[in-house]
Amino acid sequence: MDERFSGLGAFILYAITTAMMIFILAPLLLVMAVSVSDSYFVTFPPQGFTLKWYAKVLGDRDFLEAMRLSILLALGTTAGSLLFGVPAAFALVRGNFVGLAAIKGFLLSPLIFPSLVTGLALLQVLTKLGSQDARLNLLIGHIVVTSPYVIRTVVTSLQLVDENLEDAARTLGANRLRTFWRVTLPQIASGVAAGGLFAFMVSFDNYPVTMWLANSEYSPVPLVLMRQLVNVFDPSVPAMSTIIILMAMVGVLLLEKLVGLRRALAA
Amino acid sequence: MTTSDDAVAILDAQPEIRQGSRWRLYLPAGLLALPLLLFLTYFFFYPAITLLLSSIQTQNSQGIIGRPFTLAHYARLINVDLYSRVFWNTLRISVITSALATVLAYPVALVMVKSRPLVTRIITLIVIAPLVVSVVVRGYGWQLILANGPKGMLNWILMTLHITDGPVSVLYTEIAVVIGSLHVFFPMMVLPLASALGKIDPNLEDAARMLGAPWWKVFLRVTLPLSMPGFVAGFTLVFSLTAGSFVIPAILGGASAIMLGNLIEQQIFVVYDWPFGAAIAVILVGVVFAVNGFSMWLLEGRRLRRAS
Repeated sequence: MDERFSGLGAFILYAITTAMMIFILAPLLLVMAVSVSDSYFVTFPPQGFTLKWYAKVLGDRDFLEAMRLSILLALGTTAGSLLFGVPAAFALVRGNFVGLAAIKGFLLSPLIFPSLVTGLALLQVLTKLGSQDARLNLLIGHIVVTSPYVIRTVVTSLQLVDENLEDAARTLGANRLRTFWRVTLPQIASGVAAGGLFAFMVSFDNYPVTMWLANSEYSPVPLVLMRQLVNVFDPSVPAMSTIIILMAMVGVLLLEKLVGLRRALAA
Repeated sequence: MTTSDDAVAILDAQPEIRQGSRWRLYLPAGLLALPLLLFLTYFFFYPAITLLLSSIQTQNSQGIIGRPFTLAHYARLINVDLYSRVFWNTLRISVITSALATVLAYPVALVMVKSRPLVTRIITLIVIAPLVVSVVVRGYGWQLILANGPKGMLNWILMTLHITDGPVSVLYTEIAVVIGSLHVFFPMMVLPLASALGKIDPNLEDAARMLGAPWWKVFLRVTLPLSMPGFVAGFTLVFSLTAGSFVIPAILGGASAIMLGNLIEQQIFVVYDWPFGAAIAVILVGVVFAVNGFSMWLLEGRRLRRAS
């Protein structure tokens, strides 16, 4: 620590920061520790060491089915929100039309709207429409909540694009599509990737929209896990949770590699 | 004859094509927003309006929602003690969580901004990483820590260290919900604070220090006022997200700390009372919008004051 903080002030700052780091990590580490506990009930402190709960989880048809659904749903959501979001971000940065600010506010509004209510409202309309395929309904709901993330990250990276390079490409005879593909896209690639990764992670973990639109046949991972919490008391629930934690960590490390965490989230 | 006519036509058309391509240079940029605009209008805006409308309508015995218009559902939320208590619980839990998050996030954000790069990186990673772990998993982790009876981690620690004689009961209380919400939404406070603190010109603090101000005075008179935008943004985020939460109160609150989100779910999935569920949802949105509006007003006000 540099000389900015000293004495009691520094001590208090460091004490609180350390305590908060422990606070943040404790529940995750505990879940991971209990997942290898060789006991038939979840207890503290964990006893022995076994991987049998992982074997149980990885042989659990419901969990694997949910995993498959969640991954497909998250991939579809990523594709969908990029397809809608990247052009929209382009319009917001490059466009010059009446009501631009209002439209930007509208496109970002699912972010401040409680997503629990977004899901409920969507359920009502989809029911009226007679749309009964839970997978399609989930895809629509997830794109609604993830598209603002794509817009934010892509808008930020588009604002940093050097338009002179595009002009140069155009002057040298490249058409607009080629210019976008060869000049603009490489410059915003990290923003697009971050947006896509956000969309994937938000979709994979989403509960408040999912809980309305899923049904007993198609239940993504968070819903299955929630059901297991209530019904199962052996360490297979922490094993399931640990798998989810590890997947999330891979996502975070990817994000850190691609754009740097602070930049991705400040967007 | 025809050929020359065609030639003339082509010659005439030439400038129009040029014109057209210049048009295309500007027009499509705006049009690119259209697909998402239509998508969100149909699957977000229209459903929200529909929900608002059904909150002031009546549901008949077949479950069909229609006229007459009524405000009875809102009256019920206010007048029935059970429901109004849930409303106040939600507000209280959200305010306490955001206040606690502010007090605890401030030191973390300060250390994050002003430490060596390695320390900053580690803290950033620890703060952000849990953000992408499912809320259900994090709630479950807290359930294990706070579990009532001697098998919970907290109770095991307390009893092993002889701090308490018997187990304490925290799980299924409001305290557990506050702890869980704090854990889930803490990053939403740290990040805006850190970004606001990062923007403060270090020369300002150095100047204050050189003029003889002790560290706490530098903090109170320079750092704190300049970080207000981050504070307002973080508080608003944490408040809004806590107020609209469902998973954490469902896992950690049990029957004694039900929040608006849980009440909505109950009304829709158990009671099938759509108009009442919709009315609660509208109230929830109203509270969130009010807080967001207030914070926007505050931020605008500050900007004006700084400019003058």
